[in-house]
Amino acid sequence: MTSNFLELKGLYKTFDNITALNNVSLNVSKGEVIFIIGPSGCGKSTLLRAVNWLTPPDKGEVWLEGNLVGSSSSKLTIKEAKLLNNLRAKMGMVFQQFNVWPHLNVLENVVRPQLVVAKRNKANAESKALKILDEVSLHNKIDEWPDHLSGGQKQRLAIARALAMDPILMLLDEPTSALDPELVGEVLIVLKRLVNNGMTMLIVTHELGFASEFGDRLLFMDGGEIIEEGSPKKILTMPKTKRLKMFLKKLDLTSFKH
Amino acid sequence: MLEYQIFFDYAPILLIGFWLTIKIVVCAIALGIPLGLFLALGRRSNFVIISFLSTSFIELFRNTPFIIQVFLFYYVLPFYGLRLSAEYIGVLALAAFGSAYFAEIIRAGIDAVPKGQLESARAIGMTDWQAMRNVILPQTLSIVIPPLTNQTLTLIKESAILSTITVHELTMTGLMVQGETFRPFEVFIMVALLYWALNETIATIMRKFEQNTKKNRKAGSIGNSSTTLKKSTSIK
Amino acid sequence: MKFDISYTFDAIPRLLEGAFITLQVAILGFTLSVLLATTITVARTSLNSKIFNSILAFYISFIRGTPILVQIFLVYYVLPVFGLNLGPFTAGILAITLNSAAFVTEILRGGLASVPIGQFEAAKSLGISGYALWRKIILPQTFITSIPPLVNEFTMVLKATALLSMITVVELMRVSQQIYSANYHPVEVLSGTFVIYFLMCFVVSRSSVFLESRFIVKRAR
Repeated sequence: MTSNFLELKGLYKTFDNITALNNVSLNVSKGEVIFIIGPSGCGKSTLLRAVNWLTPPDKGEVWLEGNLVGSSSSKLTIKEAKLLNNLRAKMGMVFQQFNVWPHLNVLENVVRPQLVVAKRNKANAESKALKILDEVSLHNKIDEWPDHLSGGQKQRLAIARALAMDPILMLLDEPTSALDPELVGEVLIVLKRLVNNGMTMLIVTHELGFASEFGDRLLFMDGGEIIEEGSPKKILTMPKTKRLKMFLKKLDLTSFKH
Repeated sequence: MLEYQIFFDYAPILLIGFWLTIKIVVCAIALGIPLGLFLALGRRSNFVIISFLSTSFIELFRNTPFIIQVFLFYYVLPFYGLRLSAEYIGVLALAAFGSAYFAEIIRAGIDAVPKGQLESARAIGMTDWQAMRNVILPQTLSIVIPPLTNQTLTLIKESAILSTITVHELTMTGLMVQGETFRPFEVFIMVALLYWALNETIATIMRKFEQNTKKNRKAGSIGNSSTTLKKSTSIK
Repeated sequence: MKFDISYTFDAIPRLLEGAFITLQVAILGFTLSVLLATTITVARTSLNSKIFNSILAFYISFIRGTPILVQIFLVYYVLPVFGLNLGPFTAGILAITLNSAAFVTEILRGGLASVPIGQFEAAKSLGISGYALWRKIILPQTFITSIPPLVNEFTMVLKATALLSMITVVELMRVSQQIYSANYHPVEVLSGTFVIYFLMCFVVSRSSVFLESRFIVKRAR
């Protein structure tokens, strides 16, 4: 049991011979916005996917609001699987490749999970969907098919779909990395609003400007470990470790301060 | 040399046989496709026993001639007390044979759906079954319809083998007519033409359907959402 | 009635003889079919004749649109009407050859399409043409690409040989029928037959992987 909102304890994960997570632990408070940065292959996506047990770690535990999301030592029974699915619904995940469902139109993408997972009735689900789609500025696209949406619109749809489940935590895995530069802004606007509404968020990203403006904490990962941790502005302007310094240099950071 | 009268005299009886062929194939795919879906999911199952049994069934039925499967069904079923008419045995045998091929087609279709689709479904809290039903299988459908149709055409042709257990489908009827008239050329040409016509008809419909689907997807929205206020264009 | 496996074991020696005939028929039929299909493919590309292509299209459509069993009956029952009295074995081989050749032609068409057109052009510029062009350059590449579908087609031929039992060819299926009509134990005998067919087809289809690895084409790009 723990009083932290979200707690990751001692996560280990290896893929073939590569260590993606090496004894990673993290405590997150409610309402915190945490950005995770690092070179590719450093384990940041793996960390995010361990939180909702999408990629179960080899060792370690994840606790959300005092509930065990997953533990490497327990084999999942049917009852535990049910609990996991309930907890997953409370954690909205947004993927780099959007993963919107192409066989359902925009409205249906947001309604269907509510019907199937949250077991709401159709009328409530639809009115909630319409409200959220309005908030992400997709109200004029509710009949559209995902095929016909731009990348930015698809990502906003994905966010809306996750928000319709009333999550208490949002996990975003490089939400803007697959977008053309001119479409990034519209997604960041939506994320900004989420931050302002007090949503707890874990965001893996390369958008350092966004991170320094809205992040409560910044994590720099490399080789499966959290190398540096602290306030974004401090870490980005005064990196302590050589690895972070090299990483920032590679990104050529002279202009990140807007 | 060609006795045209044969065509007219015996066309009706051949058409009766043809009709039975069609009925048998329809029943076989009605049974075979759901069974194939079950086998495809079974093959992917995490339970070793289910996976092994599904894979075994599929491999056994795909790696042996249909004729011997038919004979086995014919002789084995009474063994277990099931006294069915040849037609029903034929349907079961054709369905079992078809299901093994359907299973592989469906499995390939499921694998063709991008991994992220299943991930997003699970991440939002769906069970594996809910994910299959709501997200994966609907997407499999459009991938899978052409090869499933192809396999149906194969089943139409394989159904001729049911003549070996005296099912009075088209081929058996043809043999009987041939035995009566001693005009094999006219008879078998008619039989072949009937199979060929059925084959071509279904293949052409399939092609038109595929072209239509591609066209619609490019042009604009295909409305089938229940909440849409516009009248939806349906694909016939 | 209980399943008595001794009947299966007793039948095995004769069944294996039948299996041997099956293999002979399949190999002979498939070889002829490949030769025929190769000839057709070369002719199709070299001749560029509309008439040829139309006849070919008709032939392929007929073969693919009708059951093999009906094709076998057509060859066996109809040719004598025109004076051609082939025995069951020959008729069977002919039917299987004609059937398989249609599919192999389509397979080779696909394989040929994957040969870069530059190969033709390079050969032409080097003065290689006609027989040498095909034999040394184009066909080898076509066949190597086509190994998986060709192995699959051979499996189909193997399975089709069982239908020749219907025109009295004494291959595995027919032998099996002869045995159980004598000892009245169809289930036991057919089970043994089933296993033999399965082993034959299974081994053949797995050999596809092996063959591919032996013939890896190192492509210079």
